[in-house]
Amino acid sequence: MRVDVRALGACNRLAERGAERAANALGELTGSDLAVEVTGASVATGEDLAKAFSGRESIGVRVGLDGGLEGSAVLAFDADQIDGLLSVLPGGASTGRSAVTEVGNIALGGFLDGWANYLGRAIDMTPPRYFEADGAAVLPDGALAGDGVFLFESRLDATGTDLDFSIYMLPDSGPFRDLVVGKTATAATAGAEGAVGSVGTGGASGGTNAPAVPYESLSTFASLAKRGSANAADNIGMMTGLETTVDVSRLRFVPLADVPSEVGTEPHVGTVFELQGKPSGYLAILFSEESGAAVAEAMLPTEPDEPLGGMAENALRELGNVMTSGFIDGWANVLGTSISHSPPEFVHDIGSATVSPLVASLSRRQDYGFVIDAAIRTEGVQARCDVYALPDERELAAALERLSET
Amino acid sequence: MSHLTPSGDWPASGRTDPDRSDTARNDTPRRVKVGVGDLAVVSDRAVLTTSGLGSCVAIALVDREAGVRGLLHAMLPSADGSASRSPRPAKYVDSGLETLVDELASAGASPRRLEARLVGGAEMLDLTAAVGPRNVERARERLGAAGIPVVASDVGDAVGRTVRFLPGGDLAVRAADGFERTL
Repeated sequence: MRVDVRALGACNRLAERGAERAANALGELTGSDLAVEVTGASVATGEDLAKAFSGRESIGVRVGLDGGLEGSAVLAFDADQIDGLLSVLPGGASTGRSAVTEVGNIALGGFLDGWANYLGRAIDMTPPRYFEADGAAVLPDGALAGDGVFLFESRLDATGTDLDFSIYMLPDSGPFRDLVVGKTATAATAGAEGAVGSVGTGGASGGTNAPAVPYESLSTFASLAKRGSANAADNIGMMTGLETTVDVSRLRFVPLADVPSEVGTEPHVGTVFELQGKPSGYLAILFSEESGAAVAEAMLPTEPDEPLGGMAENALRELGNVMTSGFIDGWANVLGTSISHSPPEFVHDIGSATVSPLVASLSRRQDYGFVIDAAIRTEGVQARCDVYALPDERELAAALERLSET
Repeated sequence: MSHLTPSGDWPASGRTDPDRSDTARNDTPRRVKVGVGDLAVVSDRAVLTTSGLGSCVAIALVDREAGVRGLLHAMLPSADGSASRSPRPAKYVDSGLETLVDELASAGASPRRLEARLVGGAEMLDLTAAVGPRNVERARERLGAAGIPVVASDVGDAVGRTVRFLPGGDLAVRAADGFERTL
């Protein structure tokens, strides 16, 4: 199966628009303003997803889809937010599960309406089913079975209250598969542009030479990225003596403009690197201030005068260097290219402001990109860092194409 | 089975429905978040916010007489020479500003009464140092060409910023170092 990156971009744009409709519908219902924070498609195995969702308890609603789109869709929120959700719904806490079901029905209806427009075909939706689920059981049926799926995920955030929702959609076979593999991409993209009028769907790359990526190579690259995350974690372990684990490592296809809001507005400290070679791009290693100070202290022979002063800065630079080497180690071998990285640049600022110039720089050539993100946690000293790798899409696609030929 | 049929138009990105009366449900003005490469226009007492401005530039325009405000969070100076044919006009300063002015006019603002405030354009990283200043330069240039005066600005340096565009037309800026000012 070959994935047409442009068609995937158009589909992601639909998921984004669908999530906006869902946010509007939920906003009307709850009286809160909801914003769509992130929409992306994960390239993940069932095992990865199970790990990413472990320990989470979710409540929500799922529907089955038939007709223009086949598969299933889920609206979910964290179980500990149930009281918050019920308090903003008409009828309040007394309405319980029926209110949640209604919320799901309205939001998912809004989400799917756009896809129906895009496809020019009706989508049949089974009656919404309420669920309470542990871990990855929240995900649409079939997400955990495959060795690699595209799972669309949108995160919605209420600006006034502390409420987060997620919408997951796992399309299976049928017209969607044809869309993603590019069989109907040209016709579908043209149709979508007509359907959305002035908003436009936009491809991942624009232009006529949109890259097509063999799915198997993408899956290989996701595994490579996962190994890279483990190497980076091991290198933290070696330099700090702290035990480390990789919590999450994902390869996702996202609108680049969503990356800053995903990093968030909290202050972060860390290092950024420019990747040179094929693919080029950027890599950012970001800690919360507390985590950065804790890790730096673990590396230094004596307690620094300031938690994030010059000594800590040097320590984090050094750590960033070895983590980045570990992270991209193996890429060049597998992809058959040469990749190096710039010296570390120390950063200490609002997280989203730190990554925005990286995103802006890549955005000259692309609106969407494959982003690798990994969360690494240390035991003993409670610290966590996030690694974001942002490769140039065309160069990555070309490298993956070559990979499929060898 | 419920049935979703193809119908209706899409909601426009970042635009708000002036008929939506959240303020009637509670006393605090609603907040409208403007994401990266996005814009929004309001004609009620909503607070427009955008956070994590690094090298990006925020352009806030207000027609005080009409009570219409708009906020743009642009990433790059210009679509010229870009390989990406973006569906997001708000990604660029030039196309974003044009769209913002059009939407303000549609919401009842007079382009002749508009005044601008500029925030952001920081040189966050040596790796990408040129992006911020170019964004600011382009914004000043395009605003000048459109005859919209820049009444206040907080740009440059190497610091991230978050802004809130308040109902009266003031712009509250908070820098990552904790410094706050109102433009």
